[in-house]
Formats: sequence, structure tokens, C-alpha cells
Amino acid sequence: MGATATAAPRAPRRLLRLNLAAKHALFGYAILLPTVAILVVFRFLPMLQAFWISLHEYDLIRPARFVGLENFIDLLWDPLFLNSARVSVAYVVFSCVPVWVLSLALAVLFNREIRARNLLRSAAFMPVVMPMVVNALVWTFMYHQDGVVNTILGWFGIDPVPWLRSSTWALWAVIIIGIWRATPYYMVIFLAGLQAIPNEYYEAAKIDGASAWTEFRHITLPLLKPTTLLVMVMSVIVAMKVFAVPLIMTGGGPADSTRVLPLFIYQTAFEFFKMGRAAAMSVFLFAAVMVFTLFQIRLFSRGED
Amino acid sequence: MGRLVRHRGGLVKYLFLLAVAFVGLLPYYWMLSCSLKTNDNMFLVPLQWIPNPVNWNAYGDAWRTQDFTRYFLNSGGIAVAITAGNLLLASLAGYSLCKFRYFGRGALFLMILSTMMLPLEVTMVPLFLIVKTLDWPNTYEGLIVPFLVDGFGVFLMRQYLKSIPNELIEAARIDGASELRIFFQIVMPLCKPALAALGVFTFREAWDMYIWPLIIVTKDSLRTLPLGISLFMSSFGTAWDQLMAVATIGTLPMILLFFFLQRSFIQGIAISGLKE
Repeated sequence: MGATATAAPRAPRRLLRLNLAAKHALFGYAILLPTVAILVVFRFLPMLQAFWISLHEYDLIRPARFVGLENFIDLLWDPLFLNSARVSVAYVVFSCVPVWVLSLALAVLFNREIRARNLLRSAAFMPVVMPMVVNALVWTFMYHQDGVVNTILGWFGIDPVPWLRSSTWALWAVIIIGIWRATPYYMVIFLAGLQAIPNEYYEAAKIDGASAWTEFRHITLPLLKPTTLLVMVMSVIVAMKVFAVPLIMTGGGPADSTRVLPLFIYQTAFEFFKMGRAAAMSVFLFAAVMVFTLFQIRLFSRGED
Repeated sequence: MGRLVRHRGGLVKYLFLLAVAFVGLLPYYWMLSCSLKTNDNMFLVPLQWIPNPVNWNAYGDAWRTQDFTRYFLNSGGIAVAITAGNLLLASLAGYSLCKFRYFGRGALFLMILSTMMLPLEVTMVPLFLIVKTLDWPNTYEGLIVPFLVDGFGVFLMRQYLKSIPNELIEAARIDGASELRIFFQIVMPLCKPALAALGVFTFREAWDMYIWPLIIVTKDSLRTLPLGISLFMSSFGTAWDQLMAVATIGTLPMILLFFFLQRSFIQGIAISGLKE
């Protein structure tokens, strides 16, 4: 900027530059403002308010009553809350681990030249395309006692499973949907990660006569580590937030077996109108999400600038 | 089979991929085929895989029972508005954070990033109270404004804008172009791939939105398609054919989006997991 202005007197030039810089800064602030305003009002303010409400008893009708930490203390002794925390942990663990394995395996297989690759890959990707509510509806149908899932299990000699009507099986039914929907999503992320690995590594391995497994173990896996970590964190966060599917399919039942934490928060707030209670639970959920998101942001910004 | 794959390990892998493709498509097939079955044939033992006789009435019947046209238009309008907002605001914010120098830039960026830890599932109770204070329940504002921008979009655009050389912007300034003109006529067109990816990603999420409308909408005229479908499910639980017909129609826009913008669709997801 201004490289030809060597002959110009010093002071005015500096003034001009300062002016320009200030103008640019002003423009920068101006175009950032709408985003900051929306995020402050609809994300940060609610979070602060969540802490505030969590210290009150509030049912939307009568004025809020300050109760201190009572909501939190009550929660620690509330079997329903503890149950729902347990259900959430089970959901996260049993849906995420299979998703990691399956999505990585699919990405590796689809990264090779195979017959009808694009067609198969598109078919495998389709679960991501289906809207959440439709997903819940169609699977409810498929989990029917005489439905398609039990019919297919029957081909392998497995007796019909009372999916959504049994407190033992309902959570598994919901977990299976979670796996079905999440696997292709992370497969895409893994595929992007795989494509970033330079081919020379594999060519070198071929010359050394390495087996497919050795290649995977010593080239793919180490070089894919950043992607893998990211997928792990992302999938855990997404799984912690799940609740449209159990809400529609089971409403949390039978016998509270699918009442994941976000669903319990929703019901406490908007079915039982205990806003303070629900906010206190939100604080717990927030803490859990925060731990993983901070981790995610660190992964995101590593190697930046 | 010998031409398909070279050896037995390959065959096993291929069968596995075929099974995955089958499982991926099964719910779609089931939805479509059940929407064309008669209610009597819905749960026959053994199962009826191909509708016989074919029942074409479900689509019309469902449409007559509830105002699905309205729900459909509501969902579409809201998704378009949210997508447009995200594209504009996220690219403006990303541009600002990437190409301008000012006090507090790093802190503001961190602040925007950190909203990713405040998902709706955590903030729904107070967000509802705030929207209630604004008198926005049962309004389009209430459904749209809180989601006009989010941290992920800003992050994505900022990352992408890094690849656009500063010299280009400087040159336009020297030519006397105004800042807004530079943004709309030079920067935005260069961001097309990122905008397409973010657009499809956002549209999909907005079309999918369920919990928030469920919380703030009670008026029938404001119901979105997901709300309409879940309501239909709880009140007409035995009209199976109609349920599946409605589900099929609700899925159609996403399928079209996927087929016509497949690259952007997949790109949006791939980017959500990459740091560059």
C-alpha cells in the first residue's frame, strides 16, 4: 500500500494511513455486528439465564422463587435424573463405538477402486438424507412385532424381538437408529481424511510387500489420527444431544428406559413446567458438552496460523 | 463373481458393502412401499414386500385430513430464510474476522466459536423464556431469527476466506471500489464452493428442525412439516398408509437436494470435520 509515495512528506501520509486503518476497522466491526448481536441474544444470554433460573423455582405462571442450590441438590437424589443420566451414557457409549468402527471401515473400503463404487457409496450415504422425524416414524413402523426388522432377523433364525414395547430392547432400538444415521456422516469425514493421505506412502509399502492389514495399521491409522480424534469428539457431542427420536418413538418409555437427558430436560420444562429443575439439568448437560467441545475446538485450531 | 473381485477377501468385503447399501436403502423402500399398501396388508405374515394391490389413495387422503400444503410451505420458507441468513451473515463475519484488523478480533472469534458448546438442547429453557419476552412464540420471527447465524458457519467461511489472496482485495480498493462492493462482487463469487456447502448443510438442518418449533408453535397455521408429521402420527396412528405417504413427501425435498447438489451436500459434511 502506498509504495510509490516515497517523496510525500511523512506526517500527512501517516495520518492518511491511520485514517484508512480506522475506516477498515470500523467496517470490520460493522459487518461482524449482526452475527455478534444474534449470538449474544440467542446463545450467551440464554446460557447465563440458565444458571440464574437454575437457582429458582419457576412454573411460567407464578413469579420465580429463589431457592439457592436446592434444584441441584435435589437432582443428585432424584432417581429419575440419575436414571436418565445413565441412559444417556449408555446411549453415547453403545452408539458411538460401533459408529467409529463402521464409519472408518466403510471409508477405507470405499476409498479403493471397486465395481459400482459411486452407486454403493450413495446408497450407504442415504441415511443422512432422511429427515429426523421421518426417520423416527419409519423405524417405528419397521420395529413393529410383525415388521420388517423382525422378518429379516427371522431369516437368520432369530425369534421376533419386542423392540419398542420392552424396557430391555427399546434403548437398543433407538441406538440402532443412531448408528444407522451417524455412520455415513462420519464415513464422509473419514473419506476426506483418507484422501488427504499422499499415495506415495502406499506405493512405498507395496514395494516393501506390506499386507493390506500392515498398510492400514502402520500408514492409514497413524496418519488418520487427527480425523479419528475429531470424529470421536463430534460423535460423542451429537449423541449427547439426541432426543427427537426417543421423544417421538417412545416418549422416554417403556419404564423410563429411553429417557435420555435432553429428553428429560424437555419434559421437565415443557410438560411438567419445572423451569428451575430443567435449567439445573441443562447446567449438567452443558458441563458435559463443554468438556468435549473445548477438546474439539483445540483439535480444530491446532496447526492454525 | 470372478470378474467383480479378485479374491475371496475381496468378495467378503463386497458382500459387506452390498449389505450396507441394502440397510441404507431399506427404510426408504419400506416407507414408499407401505405408502402404497392397503392398511389390511400392512402387517401380513409373511410380510408383503411388494404392494399388492397397489393403493394410490393414501397421498390424497392424508392431504385432505390436514393442511400439509401449509406445513410444507412453512418448512420451506423457514429453511430458505435461515439458509439465506446464514450464508450472508456467516460470510460477512468470516470476511471481517479474516481480512480486517481491529481491536479484539481474536477474542470475538473465540467467543463466536464457543457458541458451538451452547446447543439448543442445553439452552432451550432460557431461550424459550427470551423468545417469550420478545412475544415471539407462534411467529415466524421466533422460528427464524435465533438461527440466522451460528458459530460453525462463521468458522467455515473464515477458514475458506484465508485462501483468497489479500492482494486481490487491495487491488480492488486501489481501483476505488467500495468495501461492500468488494465483498459482494469479488469476495462472495470466489466463495461459491464454500457457500454451496454451507447452504446445503444449513438447509438440511433447518428442514429437519423439530424441537424448537415443537416448543414455540401451538397455532396450526405455523406448524412445520416435521410437527405436522409427528402430530399426524399421534392422532391418526392407525392410518398407516397415510402416515407413510406423508413421510415420503417430507423426504422428497432432501432427496432432490442430495441428487442435484450431491457434491455440495457431501462437501458440507466433509468440511464439518476438517480443520482446513
